[in-house]
Amino acid sequence: MANTQAMCTSFKKELLTGGHNFGAGTLRASASPDTFMASLRLATDNLGPSTTVYSSTGEVTGTGYSAGGMVISGWANPSTSGTAAFTTPTQALTWTGVTITNPFDALLIYNQSQGGKAVSVHTFGAQTVVAGNFTITMPVNAAGTALLQLT
Amino acid sequence: MSDAPLIHTTKGNVPVADLKYATAWEFGPTWVKFVERYTDAAGEVVRESCHVFDTQGVVGSGALA
Repeated sequence: MANTQAMCTSFKKELLTGGHNFGAGTLRASASPDTFMASLRLATDNLGPSTTVYSSTGEVTGTGYSAGGMVISGWANPSTSGTAAFTTPTQALTWTGVTITNPFDALLIYNQSQGGKAVSVHTFGAQTVVAGNFTITMPVNAAGTALLQLT
Repeated sequence: MSDAPLIHTTKGNVPVADLKYATAWEFGPTWVKFVERYTDAAGEVVRESCHVFDTQGVVGSGALA
């Protein structure tokens, strides 16, 4: 036998369920899942790895779109495969009857229960919507494709 | 009363037959996008919908630096 330097796969999964806290203070007062939201972002916004928190600046506006975006109704229970831990929203995100005339090209997922802390940014090319619908269908919830993966 | 199908647009409910319908596909590195667009006789876009299939999410790696 030999030891292998690694980040433990179980730890990655536990990060997705708030099982570790390296900082001061107790972040987990409840065993209930947090509320995560999806915000559509203007193509002129500047989000990416350095984004830390949701802001209404740079968010789309328009008929049928509410500031803050949409609540993500649920997530697949975090799981592992190989050395990856992952989860994905269980349903597509759908805005119906919306008009967003300024081009938007990204989705910001953030944690509404934790002060709007940013989770991830997903781009899809600049787009407008006129008196129509906008949907984002989620990827397969598996290692290699899931919306959020720790490898 | 006409039986012509209507569709909701920026100009209210109009006969769908009066509009030009076009579709477009775009393929990105982690997404596929389908756009459907209705334009009126003047060429104005009066209805546009978009459907994104996110084929791959984001990865945070714990690999050795």
